[in-house]
Amino acid sequence: MPRPHVALLLSLVAAYGFSNFPGGLDPYLLDVLTGIGINIILAVSLNLVNGYTGQFSLGHAGFMSVGAYLSSAVSLFVAPKLVGELSAAGPVTQGAVFLAALVTGGFCAALAGLLVGVPSLRLRGDYLALVTLGFGEIIRVIFQNIEVLGGALGLNAIPASTSLVWVLAVAAVTVFVVHCLVESTYGRGFLATRDDEIAAAAVGLNPTRYKIVAFVVAAFFAGVAGGLYAHFKLTITPTGFDFTRSIEIVVMVILGGMGNAVGVILAAVLLTVLPEVLRPIAEYRMILYSLLLVLLMLLRPQGLFQFPARRPRG
Amino acid sequence: MAELLRLEQATIRFGGLTAVNAVDFAVNEGELCGLIGPNGAGKTTVFNLITGVYAPTSGRISFGGRDLRGLGVDDIVALGIARTFQNIRLFGSLSVIDNVRAACNLHRTTAPGHALLRLGAFRRDEAAIAARANELLEIFNLGRFRDAPARSLPYGEQRRLEIVRCLATRPRLLLLDEPAAGMNPTEKVELIRLIQQVRRQFNLSILLVEHSMRVVMGCCERIAVLDYGVKIAEGTPDQIRADPKVIEAYLGEDHGSSLAHH
Repeated sequence: MPRPHVALLLSLVAAYGFSNFPGGLDPYLLDVLTGIGINIILAVSLNLVNGYTGQFSLGHAGFMSVGAYLSSAVSLFVAPKLVGELSAAGPVTQGAVFLAALVTGGFCAALAGLLVGVPSLRLRGDYLALVTLGFGEIIRVIFQNIEVLGGALGLNAIPASTSLVWVLAVAAVTVFVVHCLVESTYGRGFLATRDDEIAAAAVGLNPTRYKIVAFVVAAFFAGVAGGLYAHFKLTITPTGFDFTRSIEIVVMVILGGMGNAVGVILAAVLLTVLPEVLRPIAEYRMILYSLLLVLLMLLRPQGLFQFPARRPRG
Repeated sequence: MAELLRLEQATIRFGGLTAVNAVDFAVNEGELCGLIGPNGAGKTTVFNLITGVYAPTSGRISFGGRDLRGLGVDDIVALGIARTFQNIRLFGSLSVIDNVRAACNLHRTTAPGHALLRLGAFRRDEAAIAARANELLEIFNLGRFRDAPARSLPYGEQRRLEIVRCLATRPRLLLLDEPAAGMNPTEKVELIRLIQQVRRQFNLSILLVEHSMRVVMGCCERIAVLDYGVKIAEGTPDQIRADPKVIEAYLGEDHGSSLAHH
């Protein structure tokens, strides 16, 4: 079996073992771990766009909200019609419904990614950042005005289907997919697009297509992360997915060192844990958090976990 | 000799400026041609027309009998035209071997989805591409830099890597944009050898834009001269050297005297 598949299988088994920890996990710890898992999915998928493909998307929270809303809609409105009362159904049915909800959320987010990506990915750098920023705001306003989806109040009483094993399993799959895509001859095209679009076209690659693929794949996983988030928090509002949430994910990617898979995962862990660790200092928390970010950027602009490239041999 | 590339009355205007004006030119199968002219004569613009960066305002460009109009830059590469750039454009952060591997995408035998499944077909494909890339690097003496980031290479090696990367797309026509820029006389002699080796070993045609008369006169079989976007002469190196219009175009510049010396 290929190495990435072995790693995926092992991490799925580990995720299962970990979430069935003997004696159960402390609820607070469970909360933090779930947050870490969701942030890993978000950061690793955004890394495909902002890191490997060298684009600058600020719309990840927007795609997350599409997934959150649509998967919740499946659980709340569609599933009861198909399988009846969810709490009365067996665990397999519940699992299948949840999987369907997550995948629906992911595909809707991917579709949104395609719609935003096709016209805007011809643009470069700052322009794309602005377009995706605009998208995030538009999607928020749209959800605020859809009465069926709760309007400004959002949705609540979403079934609590998210468990740690789901989150960790999806995180493992995200890491696997991004890794496999990038570590292939096809995937060299993402990196080539980042380094020099003109040169990429000159060796027969289509930079726009690569950017769209990266964008759509990332949006899919953001949507799934949104679904996991919704079924974990049990209530979602449009404002929960605003621009600052997108920034948070971008910071994880930058801090991890753009295009550095392990670094981005570590950064996602660090930035989820940091606000928790800083909780005792209450109102100074966000000040210190911001200060730490500024310091990290000044001291390690290449990313916290980025190390010098290998020297040429000979 | 069969005709490979053909420009018929190729013209491009940028606003009021006619950068390339009604140029007729052809490159035959296996031929090594040069395109010269003073600064700003439109040489690189001709390359940009051939490779689809710009669409001609009027006129026609065909390759192997096929009209290139409406094709994207990457489609034209797939047809078999590869180019280098005046200011080297490598994938700087990628390793030397990955620069070549990225250029092998046109000849992948498996779809992108196989990267996730990683079945036997995918692994065979990847192995074949890696082998091909390694072979190319060895031929051009770049094997020892295999894992180094491309941007860390010395200048001459970067130029060579750019040519190797072109060859990975399996071109039938290679366009070289001022490959001798910034080279000293010894390096130029080496470059002439390299260009001839590439043509022989890979059985392709080459069109060369170049300022260095030593290089152009040293290896081209046929030369076209551009001045202000117009083709003012075409012929063998000897004919070009003796052409009064060419000498006039270069007159007052150092090129005039260097032209006479060769």
